[in-house]
Amino acid sequence: MNMNDLQIKFVPLGIVVVVLTSFLLIGLLYKVRESSEYGLGGRSIGRIGSGAAIASNWMSAASFLGMAGFFYLYGYQALACVIGWTGGYVLLLILLAGQIRRFGKYTAPDFVGERYDSPTARLIAAFISITISVIYCAAQFKGIGILFGWLFGVPYVIAVTAGAIAVISYVVFAGSMGVMKNQRMQYTVLIISFILPLMYLAKKLGYFWILPQFGYGAALSQVSPEFRINFTLPFAGSSLFQWSALCFTLMVGTAGLPHVLSRFYIVPNIRDARWSVVWGLFFIALIYWSAPAYAVFARLLEFRSGVAPDPVTARGMADMIVITAATQGGLPPWLVGILAAGGLSAAFATVAGLLMTGAASCSHDIYAGILCPTATEHRKMWVAKGCALVLALLVYFIAVNPPGLIVEITAVAFALAGNTIFPAFLLGIWWGRANRQGIIAGMILGVLVTFATPLFGRFIPLAATIFPLTSSALCGVPLVLLVTITVSLLTPPPPERIRRFLATEVHGYPD
Amino acid sequence: MSDKPWSEVNLLRPRKGYMGREVLITVVILIGWGGATFGFQLLQKFLESTPQGENPFTRFTFFNLPLNVWFTGQFLPLWFVFLCLVFNLYIDRLTARHSQPRFPYEHE
Repeated sequence: MNMNDLQIKFVPLGIVVVVLTSFLLIGLLYKVRESSEYGLGGRSIGRIGSGAAIASNWMSAASFLGMAGFFYLYGYQALACVIGWTGGYVLLLILLAGQIRRFGKYTAPDFVGERYDSPTARLIAAFISITISVIYCAAQFKGIGILFGWLFGVPYVIAVTAGAIAVISYVVFAGSMGVMKNQRMQYTVLIISFILPLMYLAKKLGYFWILPQFGYGAALSQVSPEFRINFTLPFAGSSLFQWSALCFTLMVGTAGLPHVLSRFYIVPNIRDARWSVVWGLFFIALIYWSAPAYAVFARLLEFRSGVAPDPVTARGMADMIVITAATQGGLPPWLVGILAAGGLSAAFATVAGLLMTGAASCSHDIYAGILCPTATEHRKMWVAKGCALVLALLVYFIAVNPPGLIVEITAVAFALAGNTIFPAFLLGIWWGRANRQGIIAGMILGVLVTFATPLFGRFIPLAATIFPLTSSALCGVPLVLLVTITVSLLTPPPPERIRRFLATEVHGYPD
Repeated sequence: MSDKPWSEVNLLRPRKGYMGREVLITVVILIGWGGATFGFQLLQKFLESTPQGENPFTRFTFFNLPLNVWFTGQFLPLWFVFLCLVFNLYIDRLTARHSQPRFPYEHE
């Protein structure tokens, strides 16, 4: 850490404050002007707009900071993230999107409770959803902490504390003022704040800057031979199994994440829901094509300055690498500020969405559903607010001493979603015979499989090999499906009402 | 709704007509999705020629990038967009065809 890191960066800080404040102000204006997120400009603009909303809902600190950091450390292995986080949308579209829209339940606990006709299954799904939100948020808090640490020039623990207070205040303010999220505008800000500094960096370093997504290739070939880690060789630092397991886990996790599934609620009909996924995927790919470029330029700058950090130091600074590349590359402070503002707004929006859905689930599924079915709306709202704070505290305690890289923490949330929620939706929609005994067994097994490495890894080394903590779903999902199917077949079928609904409504008429 | 004839939903044994076609396109897209993603990694492993993991793809340069990095990092996301496009166009046509008579059960 050099002296410069311990100073407040006034210009970038100013830009961050301006961007975040303008999001709030425009959200307030927007609320007054129009209450529907769906555009007035006709069908095609509506679909593109919904696609941008899907993409901005998706973009988090993991996409903005984590992915480049992972590529900086592991090269080709990190492309498993690029593929996992885009390929998951294919699964979502072809297996679930239309049918979920027809089923009419958009949160995992609601769907599971209704489809499997079981309050117990609903409760388990609620606990799982909340856990996914907490883990995912912890990764966002780490990102916020890193950016705050850089902006204010303070150590991580102070920065993450300040960041936690800032993001919670943001969520409380936005929630109490009823700020509408203008996700199309947010996406525009995100993409500009990610690509513009990258173009500048490519130009400054002397590479093809108009499309830095391709321009970084020349830098890649210069960097590769100089470092022990070869960026381009496929399985230099990992195995085919590790690559595929991580990729598959992120794919099924994408198709099972609570806040991704609930997006389909907003789109007016099935056809638009399907087409907005295509646009959303394209907008996500635009950012993912660029993320590795930051990592390669960071390595190139290290190479040119002649100081290559040892692996431990490199791991410590990996999640910061987007900002490091920008500052070391000599970008003007305002441009680095824009980059930091993009990262922070992605993380803030993700935290807001996840904390609110997590708290709603606590209040709606657990408190009102099980503990106190007669609760009034007013009381449920207070419970939700209290839960949001408790969850935020929980997230904070995980993030103060982060257990891994942003991508690694995020991947655990994806593994949990993939091992539990994804099979519940897949079988729930595509197999009428799946019943509540089956899905309860399946979801519990899914949780055990996800945490097999910390739970059983010490006694059974094989568990850690086939169910790595970040990528347990490759072996986990088939196992969970098998157990759910077997238990379902050994126990009575679900009520005829549900099987009939599935056959005649969900898979009946096309829309 | 209550007296409509119905049969158990099963991905492996879809009803004829709309659902059968839907499952068919889903399987085709799944093959395109899995084959390109995991098949390509398997192929790289299969063609590996040095202990470091070099293979014919790592030696070719395409769009400034080694071919394997280009294929996985740049082409596959585009391929996914293409697959989704094909799926949507097919389902749109299928839906239009089945919507006209309004009684999908009487087909085929």
